Amino acid sequence: MLDVGVYKGSDAFDPRSKALVYVLGSTMVLLATHRLEFLALAVVQSNLLLVLQLGGRWLALVRTILPTLALFCVVTWLSAGGGAALSATLRLLMVITAGLLFFATTPPEELGDALVASGLSPQVAFLFEGTVRFVPTLGRLVHEVREALVSRGLRFDGLYLLRNGPLLLAPVLISALHFADDLAEALEARGFGSPHRTPLRDYRFQLRDWLLMATTSVLALMCWFIFQ
Amino acid sequence: MTPPIVQCRAVSYRYPGQLAALADIDVEIQEGDFVLLGGASGSGKSTLCRLLNGLIPHLHGGELTGDLRVAGHAISSTPPHVMSSSVGLLLQRAEAHVVATTVGRDIAWGLAAHGLTRITIEQRVRDVAHLLDLTHLLQRAPHTLSGGELQRVVLAGVLALQPRLLVLDEPFAFLDAPAAAQLRAILSELHRTGMTIIVAEHRLEQVVATATRMVLLHAGRIVADAAPRAVLTHELSQWGLEMPPLVQLARTARLDAVPLTIEEAVAAGIELPPTQATVAVGPTPPIVEWDDVWFARDTAPILRGLNLASTAGTTVALLGANGAGKTTVLQHANGLLRPQRGTVRVMRRAVGRRPVAELARDVGLVMQQPARMLVAPTVREELALGPRFLRHNDPAWSDTIIERFQLRELLDRVPQRLSAGEQRRVALAAILVSRPRALLLDEPTVGQDAAGRRALHEQIAACVADDTAVLLATHDTEWAFTLPARWAVLVDGQIVADAQPSIVCRQADVLARAHLGLPAAEALRQCMATMEGRHA
Repeated sequence: MLDVGVYKGSDAFDPRSKALVYVLGSTMVLLATHRLEFLALAVVQSNLLLVLQLGGRWLALVRTILPTLALFCVVTWLSAGGGAALSATLRLLMVITAGLLFFATTPPEELGDALVASGLSPQVAFLFEGTVRFVPTLGRLVHEVREALVSRGLRFDGLYLLRNGPLLLAPVLISALHFADDLAEALEARGFGSPHRTPLRDYRFQLRDWLLMATTSVLALMCWFIFQ
Repeated sequence: MTPPIVQCRAVSYRYPGQLAALADIDVEIQEGDFVLLGGASGSGKSTLCRLLNGLIPHLHGGELTGDLRVAGHAISSTPPHVMSSSVGLLLQRAEAHVVATTVGRDIAWGLAAHGLTRITIEQRVRDVAHLLDLTHLLQRAPHTLSGGELQRVVLAGVLALQPRLLVLDEPFAFLDAPAAAQLRAILSELHRTGMTIIVAEHRLEQVVATATRMVLLHAGRIVADAAPRAVLTHELSQWGLEMPPLVQLARTARLDAVPLTIEEAVAAGIELPPTQATVAVGPTPPIVEWDDVWFARDTAPILRGLNLASTAGTTVALLGANGAGKTTVLQHANGLLRPQRGTVRVMRRAVGRRPVAELARDVGLVMQQPARMLVAPTVREELALGPRFLRHNDPAWSDTIIERFQLRELLDRVPQRLSAGEQRRVALAAILVSRPRALLLDEPTVGQDAAGRRALHEQIAACVADDTAVLLATHDTEWAFTLPARWAVLVDGQIVADAQPSIVCRQADVLARAHLGLPAAEALRQCMATMEGRHA
């Protein structure tokens, strides 16, 4: 589960440049076809995890999602064969890792402020901000529901997840809807509908942001030309 | 003369597709009033709170009739974001308010949303943080705070907008005694500075001594509106409310006085009933035992050599502050958590690595939010689910449970669509239908009105009569004092007192360390004993 409130190196780059790099990186993972391409991307991701000291959080995240990854792998294996299953599972893990690298270095409200500074309306900016902010909250919700059902004798480990997994859906969805209702009330009660929002910082693209985007774009193009 | 801050004339409201939630509400609230808005669950308190800042009808829709003006704005034509600078609303669940990842940013959120300048935002955040003693927490992540701290953060976010009217919907529901006392002090101070305050609450004792006026709602209508003392001369049970304990003590003693504070109760000369009878504990077998249990989360110690036993046919109230680790203790009993050191035994067998699903046959846990436990499309199927998975089907026992919890008429209803009180009933029944030997209840009284709390009392008594070991975690000493239960007090990861309530209540240092309030009767008894001691 992501650890909200701890952001490594959040001041180094503008949230918008990081968001663009995140989108580009995830696209590269999804379009990758060659083993070397995967390897190159994995090396980049592991280095970033090391530099940003996010190894521990990555391991904790992988531990949490391991049953889901395994289930995904088994289902894909059964339907499309072993090679496709391994490739798809690796792809999924790398997209999740890219998400961790982005979310763990970007406070959601900074992303929202930066988008407002770019001219988006506060309401649209909050769509992005809220998505980032409340992913961990929803993760906690799923965890609580799972614990509640396990306490009643239901099992979700291993293949039990296939049989009992759907039982999680109703309480999770309803709890999520209640949470969304409560949140909507709280936001409105604090002035959410107002047309103006003051960013708490100045956001301007700096040389390092342009360099970050340029480097990522060049790497993406190189991968494309070499491996396609 | 200044016009009332709230002018409500013949206001009625119904949620979309539902019966009327409020009917013919006529009330005027003057600037500077401190109103206690009382009422049982479903009486319309929360609806009225949401009406005052425009969440109703602008967010919820529905049909609003009558004339409602708040702080000079007509509610029907003023959206909530405009109202939010005049009316601050604090909802029951503080965590729902938190939208930012640090306390400072969260307090600033509303100010930024209103488009104020950064200088103003910074100044107001600093001022309100100072007022509510939050300056040292400004860089902290809200999810790392205690319940009381989080409540103050949310209040700070609301107060930063400098509203004229502050509305709080059951703000004490999740707070332990010191946090509740701190919130009361803050509200008194805000009232002293001229702010108009409305507190919706069904546990009247929380603010009755501070309020200048009391408005009671029942079935969506105002049934009483006067000074608190005058309202408390009525029989409140007809409206599903409990008298504040001190007033109840005065009534039991057949006095006309309406004491709102311990001092007034002493002055009224209340003759106290004898000390609560000692609960006879026979040599009943232990069902769950915690033996020198240690547990830490992210290196922060939570349990540090905890020893406790829950025996058949007895009730233990596990008391402690918010965040003391009560839930952690319960989760060790059914295997959701495993001790890092020490042993937990269920039916004299070490839990070890036994799966939770196996332990669930002997240990049933009802969580703080029962809705999270309900998965089936009907109550009937919900009650069948546990026995099916635990392979413990007993139709005769299921029938007994259905009768005991009066669920016959709910059997074909969708559990997730029931009221909160009904959901709690179904969740408890869904656990008991598998006939566990131990029943664990996590904060069972949170959000429960008088009827819910009374029903819980009866359900626990029935479990004990069935020889079930009951362990309930709570910070509600007033309610726990009414149970024939042993008290185990959790402080710093250890049980520091494990005895009859009357004995624990005499250990002032233990109660203070556990952030527990004294039940009114015991507080009064001790106050009178102190005075007698002085006279002697």
